[in-house]
Amino acid sequence: MVTPEKKQDEALLNQLQSILLREDRATVQQLREAMEDPELISERVGPIIERRMAFFKENFPKEFQVTVDKMIERKLKASQEVILDVIYPVMGKMIKKYVNHQIQMVKDGIDETIKKTFSKRGFFWQLKSKLFGMKASDQVIHEMKDYKIEEVYVTQRNSGLLFGSASAEKTIDQDVIAGMLTAIKSFVEDAFKREREDLEMIQYGTYKILLQNFYSYYIAVAISGSMSSSEREELGNRLLNFAEKNLKKLPSEPDGPTFELVSMALYKKFIQS
Amino acid sequence: MISRKVILTGSFGVGKTSLFRRFINNTFSEKYITTIGVKVDKRTVEINGAEVSILLWDIAGEVKQDKVPKSYFLGASAIIYVFDLTRPSTYKNIKLDMDILRDVLPDAIIKIVANKEDLVAAAAIEKVKESLPFPIDVVTSAKTGKNVEPLFFDLAKDFIG
Repeated sequence: MVTPEKKQDEALLNQLQSILLREDRATVQQLREAMEDPELISERVGPIIERRMAFFKENFPKEFQVTVDKMIERKLKASQEVILDVIYPVMGKMIKKYVNHQIQMVKDGIDETIKKTFSKRGFFWQLKSKLFGMKASDQVIHEMKDYKIEEVYVTQRNSGLLFGSASAEKTIDQDVIAGMLTAIKSFVEDAFKREREDLEMIQYGTYKILLQNFYSYYIAVAISGSMSSSEREELGNRLLNFAEKNLKKLPSEPDGPTFELVSMALYKKFIQS
Repeated sequence: MISRKVILTGSFGVGKTSLFRRFINNTFSEKYITTIGVKVDKRTVEINGAEVSILLWDIAGEVKQDKVPKSYFLGASAIIYVFDLTRPSTYKNIKLDMDILRDVLPDAIIKIVANKEDLVAAAAIEKVKESLPFPIDVVTSAKTGKNVEPLFFDLAKDFIG
């Protein structure tokens, strides 16, 4: 139970607190108002954040480089295919541009050489250039990139069995090559349902396999280097002449003696010459 | 020397490629890798002093023979039709398949081969034989090599005549 004396003491204590803490209470009130006012807060805190941000920007690489590197590495590993899809076209263009640039430099170099050369060949190129409008550099490049016949196969069209073959260098089993070529040819011709059209060329990098089709057989010529359309036509004519001369009386089933004869003729006509 | 084209055909997973490997390289692998398209390889065998070069075409398996590109069969002297003794689904269409093969290559030698002998008891093999409308030419196991060499040597003998 509260006595009258105790009540009087509490009133006196309150009066004393009001007198002593007036200033402090006013300050607390001001701070509370300042805290609740966004404009006032930002005015005070803004500069501090800006200072911290500036510090962060300046020291970010030092503090976080290892973490960021690891994150990027992880991300790159996880998204390799996506990244390749994105950069492939860009890289292709860059490589093309670079190769073109290098070729142009070679051509410029050749032009320069020709200008300084008074050899018969140089005069011939210059003359051809004047007469036919073909740049001398193009003629030199053209002469530089001659094609070479590496292998020739005369293969029975349906079975893929060899009637004869010749090769500049020793290769893997020619019977197997002829079989696989026939399988590829059959697959392509079958897949695209072009009954009266034949596969005429297979290209792999700078290596080409030209296919000249006849009724019961076909001739496959593997060449390296580049070949102009006129050279291709000329080779086509050589193949026709060869067929006319050597392949008129092929047996219905390939046999040993035929193989020997055809192979020898192929070697003399296309590899040795 | 004579050369002849031989086709290995049949449903998928019957062991065509295993027979192919067993005959060409004398190897066997438990790993199943499905054949895509066709694979060609060669082995020359000697029969009574005469050399016979067998160009073997291992064609990707199809459930029915009408799904196999016809051009693969052209020019073949023999067809080896393989089925799996453990899977009836691989020989249930045998009559239809034989009709198709005969239609494509009327003059070719056809050998019906029951493979995976190592997985089936002798009595079960007899039951399969009884259920088929055609006689089985050879029962083989590409895994153990059983009857694989005789299969191809018999073919080579047929080619010589």
